Amino acid sequence: MNRRDFLKTAVVTGISLAVPGSENPLTGILEAAETADLAVAHGVSPAGITKAAIDGLGGMRRFISRGDVVVVKPNIGWDRTPEYAATTNPEVVSTIVKLCYNAGAKKVKVFDRSVADPRRTYKQSGLLDAVSSAGGDISYVDERKFREMKLHGLAISSWPIYTEVIEADKIINVPIAKNHGLSILTLGMKNWMGMMGGSRGRIHQKIDKSLVDVSMLIKPNLIVLDAVRILTANGPQGGNLADVRQLNTIVAGTDQVAVDAYGATLFGLKGSDLGYVVAGHEAGLGSMNLTKLRIRKINI
Amino acid sequence: MLHKLRIASQGLFLLIFLWLFLQTESKGADELGYPVKIFLDADPLAVLATILSSHNWYKTFYIAILMVFITVVLGRIFCGWVCPLGTLNNLVGSLNKKRRIVPKAGWYRFKYLILLFLLTASLLSLQVTGFIDPISLLIRSLSLAVYPGLSYGLSVAFDTVYQINVPFLTGVSESIYTGLKKLLLPFQQPYFYQSFVIGVLFLLILGANLVEKRFWCKYLCPLGALLGLLSRFALLGREVSEGCNSCGACLNDCQGAADPEKKEKWKKAECLVCMNCDDICPQEAVQFGFLKMKSAPMDLGKRRIVGSILAGLVVAPLMHISPIKRLGVSYPKLIRPPGALDEKQFLTKCIKCGECMKVCITNGLQPAFLEGGIEGIWSPVLVPQVGYCEYRCTLCGQVCPTGAIQKLKLSEKSKVKIGTAMIDKGRCLPHAHATPCIVCQEVCPTAKKAIWLERTTVKKRNGEELIVNQPHVDLEQCVGCGICEAKCPVLGKPAIYVINIGESRSKDNQLLL
Repeated sequence: MNRRDFLKTAVVTGISLAVPGSENPLTGILEAAETADLAVAHGVSPAGITKAAIDGLGGMRRFISRGDVVVVKPNIGWDRTPEYAATTNPEVVSTIVKLCYNAGAKKVKVFDRSVADPRRTYKQSGLLDAVSSAGGDISYVDERKFREMKLHGLAISSWPIYTEVIEADKIINVPIAKNHGLSILTLGMKNWMGMMGGSRGRIHQKIDKSLVDVSMLIKPNLIVLDAVRILTANGPQGGNLADVRQLNTIVAGTDQVAVDAYGATLFGLKGSDLGYVVAGHEAGLGSMNLTKLRIRKINI
Repeated sequence: MLHKLRIASQGLFLLIFLWLFLQTESKGADELGYPVKIFLDADPLAVLATILSSHNWYKTFYIAILMVFITVVLGRIFCGWVCPLGTLNNLVGSLNKKRRIVPKAGWYRFKYLILLFLLTASLLSLQVTGFIDPISLLIRSLSLAVYPGLSYGLSVAFDTVYQINVPFLTGVSESIYTGLKKLLLPFQQPYFYQSFVIGVLFLLILGANLVEKRFWCKYLCPLGALLGLLSRFALLGREVSEGCNSCGACLNDCQGAADPEKKEKWKKAECLVCMNCDDICPQEAVQFGFLKMKSAPMDLGKRRIVGSILAGLVVAPLMHISPIKRLGVSYPKLIRPPGALDEKQFLTKCIKCGECMKVCITNGLQPAFLEGGIEGIWSPVLVPQVGYCEYRCTLCGQVCPTGAIQKLKLSEKSKVKIGTAMIDKGRCLPHAHATPCIVCQEVCPTAKKAIWLERTTVKKRNGEELIVNQPHVDLEQCVGCGICEAKCPVLGKPAIYVINIGESRSKDNQLLL
């Protein structure tokens, strides 16, 4: 969104809100959006559906205030190019960065503790270039900035967590929906592994509870699940285009459990098939009962 | 003044060399984008020794031929004007304030005898030239010792300020640190086995300048010797006119062991064309010019020559008779980089310059000790516990100057096996300890994962049943990259590890039919 588009939208939104009973189509969306729990946008343009899904929840201004330092956390875990669906779609992330700035954010930081070499993952995923050109502050993780934090969780009592995400004013989680050998799928909650320091491979021993523990600490203001392309097998790293499916879908929400539960349906599963979704639901982190949620579907 | 021009040239080439050295590091793209190995390409000694030992032609030999041509015309201008190690020797030598310098008579011959030894050994397929070829030596010393040491020292200093967190001061130091990281420091701290030994040897070479300026260049450097032989009848020469009153001023400032005060009996092959004698002469009696051919004949001594050739002849078979050269006895963790030639060919080509280890994105390529025999000391070996081979990275093959590691396309690289992973079921958490873990499978990078999981019901101590995924290795799919070993949570002695069996480069070291 450029400045002109933004002003236009702002003016139209303002007018439509100000005039009761206005027939402007935006009003309808906004009224519903205020109460929607999840917004699911479908369409060919990754930028378009990203914006539409966030607008479906009430627009970025609902989440970002003027002067905020925002952390946007995509999945930059693997040395793969975007078409392999192992890392978050760069257009989705750059759109979110721009929306944050348009909503008045002071600084938008983007980082992830990659599994493969970060120079390659940042570059090959397309995120380094996309985020930089959107004006985002994309940086490699600085190992000095992990600090041991008390979690008092179900599985982990304390773990080194990246301080920049804890110190941020607002947090937006931008995972990509993928297959995973142990947790079946990797969606939003599992994306927080990228904010964990140390020998994090150990948490696989109690993966479901560990993910709930970390998700209890790092609470995002918004989750945007990238399902433009999803990886259906050989995840989370992929490498075979035959395992990739183009869904052209974005799921946005504020409830970590609900977003992951909806994410499961994209693979023909239910939220209750995923251990960490069930554990998160039981721990009160969020709700996996999609039938009880107001889901706004948008096609563009 | 000519010597000022020479100093400018030395500075320029040293800067180019160091800048290319810094560029020998991934920025995330598939290619580096700079000709980082050009100094090695231009090194006629490395090229000649490799051609002799591998009985194989060399792709970039023409740059070295150009160097030969330049030397035949201008003499050892490379030593005096270009060589980065020569320039460093020069710099350290400037700390040496001894007034009267008399070169050690006859010592200049050592380097020719070393050269003869090296070339004879090369003819018998023993590649030991790289150990003391100056360019190879310099790149290795910088890559494996000096640069990691510098980085470590600076990061300790800046980290201390960061940890103490002094207001203002920490902000300043952090911004300096950020700048240094961008311009000078490595992306991550490199760690290398044998850094200490390699660093001390390098310091000894530099320190020798305090005994005598350019000690290395005068007495030891085999490349200097080769260029000396080529410059014996160089077109550029030197003449001393009648005005010379034998004051000896030129002797003190001669950078080689050329005996400039001996007028037409000077040693042309020892002249580094530094032009000091021309500039310093109070009588202005010294002149450089073309076709000034007079100089003393070169006398190395027949017995010495025979001696070093014999040494070369003897040492090659001695090094080749170790049992580790036999199939099935060789060190199983001798995992060579992807694209490496068959071990025998590889050893004839690898000059141990350290370029591949410098560029290795995970720091996994390490200098070997005796795993590949004495001739394999400092050749690259992948140590997965230090760093695995990044599946889509082909940098080591791109920077290898001799083709010991072949340059691979991405599509080729994904098919090259450097070894095979094996699971140690006695350690593996799901196999031995009824504990879930799938890290090796998760990180396995092949398109169809080489590690597959078997859902199995296991019993805990209390009799309770638990379903775990037990990993298995698909021997066909595994490329031996070692990321499983690197990331295995069973630290210290991982429950999955790679050995070199199945490596594509070997016809015989195979497991599957």
